[in-house]
Amino acid sequence: MTRKEFMQRLESLLLDLPDSERREAIQYYNDYFDDAGPENEAKVIQELGSPELVAHTIRTDTCENGEYTEHGYEDPSSNRRQDLSSVPLPESLKKPNLWKAACIILLCLILVPIIVPIFMAVILVLVSILIGILGITVGIVAASIVLPLSGILLIGYGIWRLFLLPGVGLTLGGVGCILLAVGILLFILTVWIIKVLLPLCLRAIISVIRFPLRKAGVVK
Amino acid sequence: MVFNTGAALLDAIVLAVVSLDAGGTYGYKITQDVRQVIDISESTLYPVLRRLLKDGCLEVYDMEFGGRNRRYYKITHAGCAQLNLYRSEWKIYAEKINKIFYGEKKA
Repeated sequence: MTRKEFMQRLESLLLDLPDSERREAIQYYNDYFDDAGPENEAKVIQELGSPELVAHTIRTDTCENGEYTEHGYEDPSSNRRQDLSSVPLPESLKKPNLWKAACIILLCLILVPIIVPIFMAVILVLVSILIGILGITVGIVAASIVLPLSGILLIGYGIWRLFLLPGVGLTLGGVGCILLAVGILLFILTVWIIKVLLPLCLRAIISVIRFPLRKAGVVK
Repeated sequence: MVFNTGAALLDAIVLAVVSLDAGGTYGYKITQDVRQVIDISESTLYPVLRRLLKDGCLEVYDMEFGGRNRRYYKITHAGCAQLNLYRSEWKIYAEKINKIFYGEKKA
């Protein structure tokens, strides 16, 4: 297409515009070609696209909700708009694949006899570990109370025996001291368990219980 | 460019480009100057210039050049005021965006 053909086509496309507007547009593009120079004629025609496109941009000037982009004037109502949001999604994202879903369901049905026992076993192991931890904790707590008490009693008894049988008294008193020391250590451990470990465990258990619920909410 | 240029920003750029030539400038040169900054198609500018003319931000006059009449565009007083408004608005906008992008600048 030459410049002359381009301008003739453009003029015929703008025939329905008022005379003055059409003349102005034609003058603008004639000026444009003149200023670009004959050596750039082909380049300008290529850049402008087609007379139809140019005519379209001349008309859209009254439309307010359009947008200028590197592709020229674009308004949302026009289907020429090409941006990221209009790039077609891959098929796999657009429609849920029925075959895939069917296969997954089938696989689940087949695996139920295997999955359920494994699941039960895992739960049982977890529960027994939990009970074990609980037992140890209860033991530590009980020991932390009983050991210092018995330690104090032994020391008292040892002091009393000291006057009758000094050897036995000293031994009893020493053992009592050791018991008291161990008991105090266990007591410190108990306090730490109650203050730090217990809330931690509770939070962990709560999050474990909430995890599947939250997942279900998201998947829905 | 990944960022689209809205109508107001394009108006502002065109006004700024036209205001650089005190004696006025012409369509082809405006297009080339704007295209130095943003990547727009050649056909984009005509509606913008016409709108700015209609709003009184630009005025036109014809002057003989190389044996033909060339149409020149010149910024008006109203156009200058509008351009100043765009400049101050842009400054605020750019500062806010920069703050978000690069964090608060320590003075």
